[in-house]
Amino acid sequence: MLLIENLSKSFGGVLAISEVSLNFTPGSLTAVIGPNGAGKTTFFNLIMGTLLPDRGRILLGGENIAGLSTPAIVRRGIARAFQIASIFPSLTVREALLAAVNAQRQQHARLLARFPLAASRHRAEEIMHMVGLATKANMISRSLSHGDQKLLDIALALVLEPRVLLLDEPTAGMGPEERWHMIDTVQRLWQREKMTLVFIEHDMDIVFKIAQSIAVLSYGRVLAEGTPAAIRRHPAVIEAYLGSEYAAGRA
Amino acid sequence: MDLPALANCVTSLSCIVTQSTSGLIIGMLLFLVAAGVSLIFGVLKIINFAHGSFYMLGAYLVLTVYGLSDSFLLAVITAALGVAVFGLLFERLIISRVYGSQVLMQLLVCYGVILILDDLVKIIWGPEFKSLGMPAAFRKPPYLVGGGVVPVYYLFLIVLTLLIALALGLAITRTRFGKIVRAVAINPGMASALGINTGYVYAGVFMLGGLLAGLAGALAAPVRSIVSGMGLSVVVESFIVTVIGGMGSVAGALVGSLLIGLVRSFGTIGFPLFTEGLMFLLMAVVLVLKPSGLFGREG
Amino acid sequence: MRTSSTLRDCLIALVIFALLAALPIVWPSRGMSDFVIRLAAFGIFATSLNLLVGYAGLESFGHGLFFGLGAYSFGLAMQRLGTSIPAALALTVLLSVVVAGIVGAICVRLKEIYFAFLTLAFQMLLHSLIIAWTPLTGGDQGLTGGVPRPPFLGISLDQPYHLYLFSAGLLVACLLLMRHIVQSPFGYTLRLIRDNPARATSLGINVWGMRLAAFIIAGAFGSIGGVVMSLFVSGAFPDFAYWTISGEAIFMIMLGGTTLFLGPVAGAVMLLMLNDVVTKLTEHYGLVLGLIILLFALGLRKGLADYLAELWQERSAARGAMQLPAAPFAEPSNKLSGE
Repeated sequence: MLLIENLSKSFGGVLAISEVSLNFTPGSLTAVIGPNGAGKTTFFNLIMGTLLPDRGRILLGGENIAGLSTPAIVRRGIARAFQIASIFPSLTVREALLAAVNAQRQQHARLLARFPLAASRHRAEEIMHMVGLATKANMISRSLSHGDQKLLDIALALVLEPRVLLLDEPTAGMGPEERWHMIDTVQRLWQREKMTLVFIEHDMDIVFKIAQSIAVLSYGRVLAEGTPAAIRRHPAVIEAYLGSEYAAGRA
Repeated sequence: MDLPALANCVTSLSCIVTQSTSGLIIGMLLFLVAAGVSLIFGVLKIINFAHGSFYMLGAYLVLTVYGLSDSFLLAVITAALGVAVFGLLFERLIISRVYGSQVLMQLLVCYGVILILDDLVKIIWGPEFKSLGMPAAFRKPPYLVGGGVVPVYYLFLIVLTLLIALALGLAITRTRFGKIVRAVAINPGMASALGINTGYVYAGVFMLGGLLAGLAGALAAPVRSIVSGMGLSVVVESFIVTVIGGMGSVAGALVGSLLIGLVRSFGTIGFPLFTEGLMFLLMAVVLVLKPSGLFGREG
Repeated sequence: MRTSSTLRDCLIALVIFALLAALPIVWPSRGMSDFVIRLAAFGIFATSLNLLVGYAGLESFGHGLFFGLGAYSFGLAMQRLGTSIPAALALTVLLSVVVAGIVGAICVRLKEIYFAFLTLAFQMLLHSLIIAWTPLTGGDQGLTGGVPRPPFLGISLDQPYHLYLFSAGLLVACLLLMRHIVQSPFGYTLRLIRDNPARATSLGINVWGMRLAAFIIAGAFGSIGGVVMSLFVSGAFPDFAYWTISGEAIFMIMLGGTTLFLGPVAGAVMLLMLNDVVTKLTEHYGLVLGLIILLFALGLRKGLADYLAELWQERSAARGAMQLPAAPFAEPSNKLSGE
């Protein structure tokens, strides 16, 4: 579904991403891990068109999207949720989702009709339920808890009915319980929507619990890629990142 | 539009000399005001719309002190220091309260202050146009350069303000004070973490801006009429200068001011009614081609 | 849903118009009629500015460009072209749309403060043009000679009550139209762009295009405010394009609040009343106005209507609801209220 070939990007002489090649098969659930500064968020930025790659190809369903603008890439079916929840503070959850659904259905520039559009209601409600925000539909986004804001961020990404969903540290900044609630929601979403999901994560418990495959980035390069079991045993990964605790197979 | 007159002027040495001199003093006085605006923006990221009122206060203060003491020197120094103090009060009591707010809110606060000051000077000094008259020291016949007229006072002004510009430039680039100001401009959080009292720096920058603007008003008094609302056109022009020169850049303010000064003085000949329009056109062109200005940083 | 329905808005509009229409009959006063006409001009103008500032997040310093353009083009059309009033109105709006399209296309790409300054530059450019182009505009004297008011559709604007009704009608009609625009999908997309332009882009929205559209719409309505003013003074003055017109509109918006739709109109009422009261009491209008502005800007730090709306929301939340309940037609503060 999403094939990355020899992707490279440097910033003024600093090679942030170097010859990264990864294959995310359709319907897979992959975790991208690695130390801070490894280039994980840059990697997402490149895929989404926020940054332009220097070299390499990004093939979505066979089509090379490297170099396209973000709206064009979004239209082709990749969506992304942000590390720091990027939401619309003054709108309620429901309003934000309705407006986003309008945009996805290209109805957002209509002047003659009245908001909310009836045709957008169903999808907006559906997504609210999927992420578990239905009870908070009338809450103003800025007043949501941190965890709920991140859920809203994901919900906004889901509006785009993406074939590929990129989640940038979905559990960042959350306490233990919130964390599992979030990752639980993510897993249910993935199963239900059958999308290709890639998420950046630092919490190894979570990663080893739900990821089907893991890609390890370090200093802008792919250190290793494979099943959780294989990664766990991979010497370079253990040395660079995991430590012996995970090597021993701590579940 | 009077293009023949303009063509005549640029082909006549005497006219070029006269108009250039005139343009230079407009530019240099403008520089004193614009440098303050630019500095305040560079450090505080605030547009001080009330800066023109600082200028106006300088002019009125010099009027009063000169009237009392008959010493132009004393009057100018008092005026400059007086406005510096006002700048400090303005920063501490008023503008610091809207530091985080939206630009429109800051604009509104300054608008309020302008309204108050414009009325206050009318109450205290009266609504009529006032003039200082040329101080005795400068009541000499003008120099004739290439057939053009260069009044003694103009020459004095140009030299003095160039020296001030030089001093300012050196102060910012070479002194410790300048380094601190630049550090706060680039990264206030970091500067504060390094032990710099950003509050003092902010107040200091406003004092400096007030000093320069008050000085400008005082020096302008012999050659301009003094009236309520005189700050308006000055502040508008100083914005044009800061946009053209680049926000936060003193060198840019100098270049921009001289440019505007010359456009004004030659423009009055060629486009007597549209001179203001010329300046706005210039600003619009700069904003379209390079929004950060000639010397400004991108973004 | 926090939004009201089209039907409700239309009914409210009708009621307001009926009340306004009845007012001079119940309370015949030249001063009061003049007040309403001026309110119409500024109410339309300030609300149109709020389309940019409050809804689209575009802080324009130069909206007065359209007020002046509207007044002069309407006045000139009537004086020179001898058209009917509806035709002149249509021509004015058309001209504003074109000008807004050009100016907007240049300005809207720029970041906040530069956008604000460039709009100001264009406005002052118009002002300079007006002053300089004496044969066309009368220079700093303004358009003299009066604006002819040929009757149309049985309405004769030479009659005070007709002019009053026409102005009130325009006010209500423009507010209703702007209200509809703001409550349309387009309006909500503008809010998305205001709150988070980057995320809006990632949703596939053409942010530049939407902002330009908002700028054009705001300009068109702003010029209608100028038309009403032109009818009121039977001419046009360079002051209508001076930067202080923009300043006053900004003050009206700040006074009244940017988040309630009728905030700017409330602000216009307040400022005009303040204007009238203060000029009667003292010749030191500037001093008093300035002090009041400082009181608002430093004290409340947000518009009056915003402040009251927030108080109300806090009260309802404190009354023990688990969720933050939706206030009927208020939207919570946007960044303009100083948060």
